[in-house]
Amino acid sequence: MSTEILTVQAAAAPPPQATPRRRRRTPGQLAGRTALHLLLATGAVVMAVPFVWMMISSLKSHADISAYPPRLLPTEWVWSNYPEALAFAPFGTYFRNSFFIAVGHTVINVALATMAGYALARLPFKGRTVVFMGVLAMMMIPTYTKIVPQYLIAKSMPFFGGNDYLGRGGYGWLDSWWALIIPGALTPFAIFLFRQFYLSLPRELEEAARIDGLGEFGIFARIMTPLVKPAVATVALLTFEHSWNNFLWPLLVTTRDELRVIQVGLAAFQQAERTEWAYLMAGSTLATVPMIMLFLFTQRYFVQGFATVGIK
Amino acid sequence: MVATLAPAPVKADASEKRPPRRRRLGRDRSRAAWLMLAPAAIHLVWWIGFPVLATFVLAFTHYDVLAGTVSWAGLDNFREIFADEVWNLSIWHTVVYTFFTVPVSMAIAVVLAVLLNAKLRARAWYRAAIFMPHVTATVAIALVWMWMFEPNIGLFNALLAMVGVAGPAWLSDPSWAMSAVIAVGVWKGIGVKMLIYLAALQGLPGELYEAADIDGASGPRKFWSVTLPLLRPATFFVFVVSMIDAFQVFDQVYVLTPQGGPANSTTVMTYEIYRTAFSEFRISTACAQSLVLFGFLLVLTLISRRLTGRDEDVN
Repeated sequence: MSTEILTVQAAAAPPPQATPRRRRRTPGQLAGRTALHLLLATGAVVMAVPFVWMMISSLKSHADISAYPPRLLPTEWVWSNYPEALAFAPFGTYFRNSFFIAVGHTVINVALATMAGYALARLPFKGRTVVFMGVLAMMMIPTYTKIVPQYLIAKSMPFFGGNDYLGRGGYGWLDSWWALIIPGALTPFAIFLFRQFYLSLPRELEEAARIDGLGEFGIFARIMTPLVKPAVATVALLTFEHSWNNFLWPLLVTTRDELRVIQVGLAAFQQAERTEWAYLMAGSTLATVPMIMLFLFTQRYFVQGFATVGIK
Repeated sequence: MVATLAPAPVKADASEKRPPRRRRLGRDRSRAAWLMLAPAAIHLVWWIGFPVLATFVLAFTHYDVLAGTVSWAGLDNFREIFADEVWNLSIWHTVVYTFFTVPVSMAIAVVLAVLLNAKLRARAWYRAAIFMPHVTATVAIALVWMWMFEPNIGLFNALLAMVGVAGPAWLSDPSWAMSAVIAVGVWKGIGVKMLIYLAALQGLPGELYEAADIDGASGPRKFWSVTLPLLRPATFFVFVVSMIDAFQVFDQVYVLTPQGGPANSTTVMTYEIYRTAFSEFRISTACAQSLVLFGFLLVLTLISRRLTGRDEDVN
């Protein structure tokens, strides 16, 4: 993503001070603080309206949802919309697929990017600067400058999906787990972020471990990586979130229902069943609630990640 | 990061004068480095490096997917796309979308960030509510907006009806569809901008505020005369990053207004690339279009590097 490059500065900057600027509180400011709370609460409520409306709508009966004018609250809370939506469209399968892919992306990204980031940060070798510049350049590449050939590569993967050794004749990786998991599994941004974190560790640790007879990989895996756990958490969460919410790539490479991810499944469901709003909202709730929960429980890492990352 | 970029004491070319143990260490580390880099390097070259090169090559060729033939095209593809009214329209729409979403959500974001910068109870909750749209899937949330925009029984038109206004058929009315897409873009974009502003605010010096307090400046006065000028670097940063992001808007446009919207009124550059490549299978044309988008983004990125002095940071 081209936006990622712009985040270099933020990532390189020292971690922001934990405590915000303090204001001295005088009794006269009490009214001001109340106004502040009111303003912020209004803002927060306005931002949350779509989520609340989604959840309320997902629990409305058929009659309630098509009532005019719309009622704020359902006359009866129809929890059965959820099992019915799951029976109506294979949201369960979509959900499982998304989860599987997101976990796959997260594991692969953390594993490969920590190694690469460590090598770029702590191991001197010829051509290190060039490789690092290459990673930076790849971070700047926008999705649309690579997606068409990526699709062609996936389609013409030799020996897969009926292809011959030159990748002709079949569908390659299209409509397969390979295409869903492998191409998007590693982000240059993760490499970059890990490099920054590894750079900040003291050299003495590494040298002490070397004197103790630990190999280079041992130093990486057992000494240095445990020290960058916050970075691992941030990258893992951002990767999971990005993968769960990804739409375009899964849309391109899958046509079969069994392989659809939740976002593509939702869009397809909407286009097929334009009026089943309650089921659609139930599906949307299922697609968003896991991310909301994950975010609420791990806010600290998300905020840290996004503040250092800028966008995406 | 600056520290490590200082030349490392162990340098490969100076190794001849070193005792053998050091030289072996250098070799070990260099081999370890390549082994650890290899999987990532192969993946990146295969899935990013090669596709980017291919985009550049394909944009200047005629590539027939079905026949599998490639022939040199020079600038034909570019002539073709700029003769296409829908493509030119999509550039215009992308600019319009960016022009409206970015400043509006930035303005809201900076105000919210300043308000949130106080030590408040429930601060994390406000922040979470404002940031939530960013972490949730665009597709799912665009469907919710679609439901709220529903012309007959949707939330917005019901609210408008309460004050006696007959709301339009938002997403299927060519004159309103873009506004609806922009509204969703503004709502979704506030959170991340607010977070960047919050991070910037926490680095601001407190003395200026104390001085302003002594001078008896009011809250809004401090905001205009102290905070905003101090936030100028952050503002540039947020502005350019958001522009780059807005130029690549796709998911919500695809979901809210399928097929480019009513009378192509919401088609954007990314959607045209998608349509050309994956429903018309005109691969070379799509690559030419993506190079045009790339050109826009490159210019924006270069401007941002100029403005934020990023080069010095990286090296």
